[in-house]
Amino acid sequence: MSNPSVPPPPSSDPEGGSLYLRGLKCRECGRIYDLLPVHVCDFCFGPLEVDYKYETIRAGLSRESIERGPKSLWRYKALLPIVGEPTAGLHAGMTPLVRAERLGKVLGLKNLYIKNDTVNHPTLSFKDRVVAVAINRARELGFKTVACASTGNLANSVSAHAASIGMNCFVFIPHDLEAGKILGNLVYKPTVVSVRGNYDDVNRLCSEIGAEYPWAFVNINIRPYYAEGSKSLAFETAEQLGWKIPDQVVVPIASGSLLTKIWKGFQEFANLGIVKENPLLKVNGAQASGCSPVFQAFQAGRTQFVPVKPKTIAKSLAIGNPADGYYALDVVGRSKGQVEAATDPEIVEGMVLLAETEGIFAETAGGVTVACLKKLAQKKAIRPDDVTVAYITGNGLKTMEALTGFLPEPVGIDPTLTSFRKIVNPS
Amino acid sequence: MTRLRFHLTFPEERVKEPIIYEISQKFGVVTNIRRADVSDRSGWVELELEGELPEIERTVVHLRNRGIHVDPIEKTILEG
Repeated sequence: MSNPSVPPPPSSDPEGGSLYLRGLKCRECGRIYDLLPVHVCDFCFGPLEVDYKYETIRAGLSRESIERGPKSLWRYKALLPIVGEPTAGLHAGMTPLVRAERLGKVLGLKNLYIKNDTVNHPTLSFKDRVVAVAINRARELGFKTVACASTGNLANSVSAHAASIGMNCFVFIPHDLEAGKILGNLVYKPTVVSVRGNYDDVNRLCSEIGAEYPWAFVNINIRPYYAEGSKSLAFETAEQLGWKIPDQVVVPIASGSLLTKIWKGFQEFANLGIVKENPLLKVNGAQASGCSPVFQAFQAGRTQFVPVKPKTIAKSLAIGNPADGYYALDVVGRSKGQVEAATDPEIVEGMVLLAETEGIFAETAGGVTVACLKKLAQKKAIRPDDVTVAYITGNGLKTMEALTGFLPEPVGIDPTLTSFRKIVNPS
Repeated sequence: MTRLRFHLTFPEERVKEPIIYEISQKFGVVTNIRRADVSDRSGWVELELEGELPEIERTVVHLRNRGIHVDPIEKTILEG
């Protein structure tokens, strides 16, 4: 295998005469960079974020122009960081916004909605949004290989998207990961690299590989583009609510990026005049108690958080040192929201409650969101009349093992009507 | 020579120790602090290390043994 020490040259015109993209901007010092595969400010090591030409976007974007667009996240392409037309991930997004009356009744919330990304395309989680954006941008930048370090949803989505357009794909996992976790991935035929080492070792190795190989590492050198895909959850929510921003949102926190980008999406729509600003909007975060660095910092009133070793059934939220944790705390604080945390039993209860009231089978992260929503409602941080949206980010079929021992056994009967009447006895 | 970037988190009991000076002396790596926030209870530093790769790797092991949480500059990359 070749081991070039320099990244590939970008495509001849990475901006491609983009009408809408200005560059990348450091979130700490504000320095501007070209639209290249870079993610950290050379000067202060702050993270880079896409900077848009909002005045140009404002002139061409309207509710009508959005409604004429495809029934996918690409209807918001003017606010997503690709230059040309998308060629992959064409069906991601535009998932249902479900009016959750039955769940709302249990929780005492009259205007509750579930944004249901358990049915996202192609791999049944919100990662299909961010990866759709990342893989298109990676192609525009001339990459032939895409990569990620993941034990679940991200690996699924990257592998599937890469397969769909014939890109090479590398997925890095810790060596002691259960085989079943990665099985659903292997079908897409990526190269899965099992690293002998602990969680921290895999993490550090991937950073070093990301710096050395000419690959599009979706959440390293492509991260500024990748993260923007999450804004589509806010855009869709506003559109599906009849062009309104809700009063409350409850968002699971892993890296913290999803929460900050949902906030950014609502801000962009309001600033561009697509929707009216809602000064009441509160952004609430949800973490698993077994991996809750942001919750702990919120509770203690600190802006610094201490990295933790994850120990939770909500594996898709198990980020011990969240890259955007600081920014997530900032958004929660500015919007006067809160951060809650749920224990493993509460997570399972949340999964079951959502399934039995709304017919939506969420993975463990969804259980975290519902459990934290319940706590926020109980302590009246969310009031009964607030228009509230809970983000359910992945499908329960991915974390079936979490339910083992928690559900009732089937009712056993003999193959006779008498037995059925005697034991089941339906009224 | 290799140059790598790290995010170090210091627990309260290590905040007052001159650990960055210590690693430059012990392993001959060039240390370059680019951003930091240190209080009396905890702190973090974004640090570039330049040196021979095996020395940088020994430095990381040493820091971890001293109770410092060492992540790449991107922090947690391994996602679920």
